[in-house]
Amino acid sequence: MSGFTHLHAASAYSAHYGVTRPELMAEAAASLGMTSLAITDRDGLYGSVKHIGACLALGISPIVGVSLEVVDDEFEHLARVVVLARGHDSGIGWSTLCSVVSAAHGYDVSNVDDRGKKLARNKSERIAIRRGDLARIIAESLGACTVLLGNNSDVGRSVLGASRDEALKLLQPWLDLFAIPNTLAIEVATLLTEPNTEGSTLQASRMLQLADFAGVSAVLTNQVRYLTPDDAVTADVLDAARFLEPLGFFQVQPNAQAWLKPPRLMHALAHEVCGDPERARQLIRDTQLLADRLRLDPPSDCGWGKPKTPEKSTLGIDGDPFQVLQQKAQAAISHRYPSASEATLREVNHRLNQELITIGQLGFATYFLTVADVAQMIRDMKIRIAARGSGAGSLVNYLLGISGVDPIEHELLFERFLSTERSSLPDIDIDVESARRHDIYRNIFRRYGSSRVTLLSMQSTYRGRGAVRDSGLALGLDEDEIDQLAKNVWRLSAGSFRNAVGQKPELAELRDALESDRKMNLLVDITERLNRLPRHISMHPCGVILGDSSLLKLTSIEQSGMGLPMSQFDKDDMDPMGMLKLDVLGVRMQSAMAYAVREIARVRGEELDLDAIDRADPETFKNIRTTNTLGIFQIESPGQRELTGKHQPTEFNDLTIQISLFRPGPMKGNMIAPYLDGRHKFAQPDYMHKDLEPILRETFGVVVFHEHVLRILNVMTGCTLAKADELRRSLEDPRVKPEIEKFFRTKCTERGYSKQVIDRVWQVLEGFSSFGFCKAHGAAFALPTYQSAWLKTHYPVEFMAGLFTHDPGMYPRRLLLAEARRLGVRILPIDVNLSSDEYLVERHGEELAVRLAITDVTGISQAEIGRILAERPFSDIGDFYSRAKPSRKTFDTLGQIGALDGLKLGDFGPQHTRGDIMAMVRKLNSAKKRKPSEQEAPTLDFDFGDLPRGNPEPSNAEKVEAELRLLGLDYTEHVLEQYRPMLDEMGVVRSNELANLRSKSDVLVAGVRVATQTPPMRSGKRVVFLSLDDGYGCSDATFFEDAQARCSHILFNTKLLLVAGKTRRTGVRGVSLMAENAWDLRELWQQWSAARPKESEMLAS
Amino acid sequence: MARVDELVSVSINEAGFPVEFNWRGGGYRVLNRPVRWFTRREWWSEASRVPKGVGAGVLEVEMWLLVASEGREKRHYELAHCAIGDKNQWRLHRVY
Repeated sequence: MSGFTHLHAASAYSAHYGVTRPELMAEAAASLGMTSLAITDRDGLYGSVKHIGACLALGISPIVGVSLEVVDDEFEHLARVVVLARGHDSGIGWSTLCSVVSAAHGYDVSNVDDRGKKLARNKSERIAIRRGDLARIIAESLGACTVLLGNNSDVGRSVLGASRDEALKLLQPWLDLFAIPNTLAIEVATLLTEPNTEGSTLQASRMLQLADFAGVSAVLTNQVRYLTPDDAVTADVLDAARFLEPLGFFQVQPNAQAWLKPPRLMHALAHEVCGDPERARQLIRDTQLLADRLRLDPPSDCGWGKPKTPEKSTLGIDGDPFQVLQQKAQAAISHRYPSASEATLREVNHRLNQELITIGQLGFATYFLTVADVAQMIRDMKIRIAARGSGAGSLVNYLLGISGVDPIEHELLFERFLSTERSSLPDIDIDVESARRHDIYRNIFRRYGSSRVTLLSMQSTYRGRGAVRDSGLALGLDEDEIDQLAKNVWRLSAGSFRNAVGQKPELAELRDALESDRKMNLLVDITERLNRLPRHISMHPCGVILGDSSLLKLTSIEQSGMGLPMSQFDKDDMDPMGMLKLDVLGVRMQSAMAYAVREIARVRGEELDLDAIDRADPETFKNIRTTNTLGIFQIESPGQRELTGKHQPTEFNDLTIQISLFRPGPMKGNMIAPYLDGRHKFAQPDYMHKDLEPILRETFGVVVFHEHVLRILNVMTGCTLAKADELRRSLEDPRVKPEIEKFFRTKCTERGYSKQVIDRVWQVLEGFSSFGFCKAHGAAFALPTYQSAWLKTHYPVEFMAGLFTHDPGMYPRRLLLAEARRLGVRILPIDVNLSSDEYLVERHGEELAVRLAITDVTGISQAEIGRILAERPFSDIGDFYSRAKPSRKTFDTLGQIGALDGLKLGDFGPQHTRGDIMAMVRKLNSAKKRKPSEQEAPTLDFDFGDLPRGNPEPSNAEKVEAELRLLGLDYTEHVLEQYRPMLDEMGVVRSNELANLRSKSDVLVAGVRVATQTPPMRSGKRVVFLSLDDGYGCSDATFFEDAQARCSHILFNTKLLLVAGKTRRTGVRGVSLMAENAWDLRELWQQWSAARPKESEMLAS
Repeated sequence: MARVDELVSVSINEAGFPVEFNWRGGGYRVLNRPVRWFTRREWWSEASRVPKGVGAGVLEVEMWLLVASEGREKRHYELAHCAIGDKNQWRLHRVY
């Protein structure tokens, strides 16, 4: 008998255990001539969909199982077993395996309630299944899974020491519980460890003898956890990460034998274990027989590739879903196009029919109704919602209220989103208020029932920093040393770590260490080994899977961080499994805008519908053009700010284009400059051919959007838009590109285009594949961009309050404070009687101001905030102390940042200084015990002795220092003001003065670091962008390689910087700095003030 | 039992099993089917580099327990076979 099937093999998706990606494992198996291969990840089906996909592509049979811990009724460890699903049985084996895994994670999915009721979960923290439960689930399926009982079990351990009777006694309960034929087999495995130890050939032989004696089938495995012996080193490091101990401090794997051995070696092992050649052949035969039972037929077993949507009854529909969809869409036309012309309405109706025909042909009506139903549910919850992605290209989505952008007005194409050329479920992504996202998830579970809904998971993988950390831990390096190293590992792939160490200036220290330090060399080597291995599973930030009532028969689930169950499959598994994934992404900007709208209503009594505002407001665009875009969605980054200065947008479509242009692809493809040249009339637009002018007019001849490519192919080759999108997708595949080129050239020639034009257009299309962007996506993003800009223009106070409360952007909060100061928005300090857990807008006569929230106080607890909000108002400090019951630390902090300034010191005298307050706070804090609360002793009886008097008010510098330390917000004045004497003496330029300087002026700028970016560059060389805030706005400095080398030690870590460089004009309002060098401002200050003792007294800290 | 730990030269058959070894000038013939196992090495305290492809030799050592004779007396010998990179060493660990 030839051949062999590995029935026990963990993939890299067994986090911190397996080493090899499933695709690689399957490929190796196929090339070794195996006709089937199992994947048995630890504790879940994490890698199984990828395994199945790889096996199908290779033409071998996939087998799927899981490695699980089995416990007795008291949750005491019995064994770690492999449970394998039977194949070709209409999915009973697969669904039983899913139930077993979900049960190990505490979910009994066998009796899940159809609607309403929450899926109960047992409280055990351990991932394990009770032997009785495992037996029951398999028995209920009439034997659709097989359990492999091996070395790592009560039975396996007993054969090494105890008598055979003892081993038989332990085996008996397994035999009794798994009495149905083929549900239990003995796993014979040898890792060739030292004789008489676990994993030895002796143990394997004894297991085989036991099986024969008891009349149970035995199979051979190699307990695979990596592809080649070389990978065993990686497995050691993963073990260290799993045990959270350095190597040498725990029992390591016995040797490097657990690899995917070829059939020849497995046969040799069988001989070694059995001694008898006939018995060895029988062992291999039995292994192959079992494997044959387990071969899966993915379509019939796992529902592979078949789209699944909720039953129509769940959506409250009776009748034909397609007709319902049609009626709903048509009914919405008058609402979406209230004053449209005859011609527009004709176009709308025509487009709608086209889309409906496609949807009907694909049978996706239920899918659209489902998404519309969820969107309506979210709106009913009074939560803001917006579409994102290619879904905005669909008129049906616009009419159903899923998207808010008119695809006809913005020339967005349905075919980019959905066409009959593809049959996978399209992605419709919706953005909601981040603060309400979990409420939405819970409501989706309630609405559709726990049997149809589960969250999506994602596998995070090892990247630079994480890989360095876990490698350092494995080698037992000092934690500070690891921290220091990890801090300097800046966005680099762990896979090229050694290379990076040779090149990056901030890793120079490590480079020197590599000359002599053995441990550092090991660190670099194992860091590279960890690169891109799955690290841990967590809840996907936005994915919800919606299916029919069979969902939990097709996926295993486990508990997510927020408590709701999540699938063990990730987003790449959805399409092959035919699962409908709904992306409900929490967007902080939506929360910030919703908050601003609520504050506008509260303070001014104005009801505002942000989705109905005029989208061509000149004031809003004027404001954007100033480049003060901080806080505006998508265009606040330093690069976008610079581009805004050059671009000077004047209408909504400009925002769509700008958002789409500022991406790695267009930047690398040098698409921005020709676009800007065309726009500012520096160059005549080149449309390549007059037929393309209508398509490319909006971008002055530059091909920016996928939609452009579709239209070009459509016009020049005469193919349909649907076909054009297929061609566009295939352009990314170098194997089929020649075919497409041939098609393009033939068709264009037939239709009379000259060779010259064909050559040029093809060159553009060919280069485009990696650059393009979907216009629908850009337009969907442009909407919140415009809305936030509009709010910032017309309601700056409420908008800033929203930004502070929900913190949507990329910048630290103290920069928002600087922006508020620049806008003239008054910021009021924290006051225990007035501040809440949100940033409230306060009316002071005609003026509106923002009150800082109490949540910003460092170290304050939820309980303390709760007491303060419940107990106020407070009359004096003693009253606050006894009723709010702050901790000593919080009390002190509140005093220092001025949050108690508004309270009276005692029963008399309102006049006092911050110094007096602090004296009082410290006096109260030094009391051994808090005074009894008011019931037992009225406040009047308080006797703290003399009230403090005459303590000095702290200086502004002292206040700012305390604010930054305790709040992270310098609200008394900008932190840089303290350094002003030095800066003025040095002639440092303020950021708002830069635009007035001539290009190439030598300047110094200073500020607080607010952003550090290393965007991809055409040249491939690293460029570092630093943005500094000096209280007058932001200045942006660019560091090329020379400059990076000069200041590498402060480039990524130092907070306050002085930068020297040359100005560079980049557009009407755009100026940036070509940096030459940078210094730590604090160090300079020390040197400067050391020479001038008097000035330094200003900084008492 | 005596610990030895000396380099020896070994002849192996097609299956990689030792059939003869030379120790201190004497030739020893292997007389039984040797027992083989793999034991650990602590690469984190021994190896200077462990890049991908370094091989399992940094992590494990092939061990052989066999009965051999120089002519008259049969004894048990334990051999260790280390293979790291192009280094391929046999050592006699113990004599029983």
